[in-house]
Amino acid sequence: MAGFDKWTERLSRGVARRTSRRSTLAWLGAAITGAATIPVLPVARAASGSPHGGGGAANAPLVSTNPQDPGDQTSCDYWRYCAIDGFLCSCCGGSASTCPPGTEMSPITWIGTCTNPADNRAYVISYNDCCGTSSCGQCLCNRNEGDRPQVRPQSNNDYNWCLGTQSSVYNCSTAIIVGVALDQPK
Amino acid sequence: MKFTTPGIAMLFALLMAAAGVRAGEVQMRGVSNPQQARIDYILKCQGCHRPDGGGDDRSNPPIKNEVARFLGVPGGREFLARVPGVSTVDLDDTRLANLVNWTLYTFDPAHMPADFRPYSPEEIGHLRRHPLRLERAETRARLVKGFSQDRAKTHSP
Repeated sequence: MAGFDKWTERLSRGVARRTSRRSTLAWLGAAITGAATIPVLPVARAASGSPHGGGGAANAPLVSTNPQDPGDQTSCDYWRYCAIDGFLCSCCGGSASTCPPGTEMSPITWIGTCTNPADNRAYVISYNDCCGTSSCGQCLCNRNEGDRPQVRPQSNNDYNWCLGTQSSVYNCSTAIIVGVALDQPK
Repeated sequence: MKFTTPGIAMLFALLMAAAGVRAGEVQMRGVSNPQQARIDYILKCQGCHRPDGGGDDRSNPPIKNEVARFLGVPGGREFLARVPGVSTVDLDDTRLANLVNWTLYTFDPAHMPADFRPYSPEEIGHLRRHPLRLERAETRARLVKGFSQDRAKTHSP
């Protein structure tokens, strides 16, 4: 027990000899400043994000110059993504209507309608998945407007829609306008 | 711009041509609203059957140059209204009959029988109450075997 007392005494005296109150203050100041930079790291940015999924802020906004096509195409809130469930191709090296290089667009898709805030008309949107390389992992969005249960497979977005492609591995999703719906869509 | 006589004649010719196109649409019997049918096709069918109805034999069977041939074999007319994609779609009988008739005329005009009797909403409503389920592929294969004989005569050109 006496040995333990001696060891503790030596340790505390050593600390007192080697450090000053000023250096302690300097160290504390550095730690406080360092802690303030943690939210800048990508970990914290991935944790925050829009209500439909995280990651909006991690990507530079991609805004069309067409006034008929308002909104940021890398954000889950973009109007064409109203029924999306997956990673946005516009955050993955592609765009809202094209696949990233090295992937293949699925010819079989699920189709729904979204209201364009510019003219309040419903447009028919085809959610073609891009397939062939592993999940992109950027901008996960899950909005599901008009999504039907799995007993209606043609209107359900929980299935893997990488069908009719060489590979069934899912990478990301596009949202392509294929038509203008009539005034009484169903 | 001043309208000259040839100009007016040309305008008239264009109007006639447009009328001709309209007449072509009207010839689709049982299709009261082709615009509605087109949008319904996009919303309810195109995702799997492709924009041109092409399909493939691995995932979704082709509609294009194929669908009207079912009308020529016994049980084929009933089959078209009972396949799951048709019978279980969330459209009312009137819109569905409009869509089925439009699909036949649009994707397979060559095989349309001259005496085609369009599907009525009543007939569609009656047939869709007995949808095909797991037996659909087998039923289709049996019907397709039935129309392999007429393939010889329709493929003459």
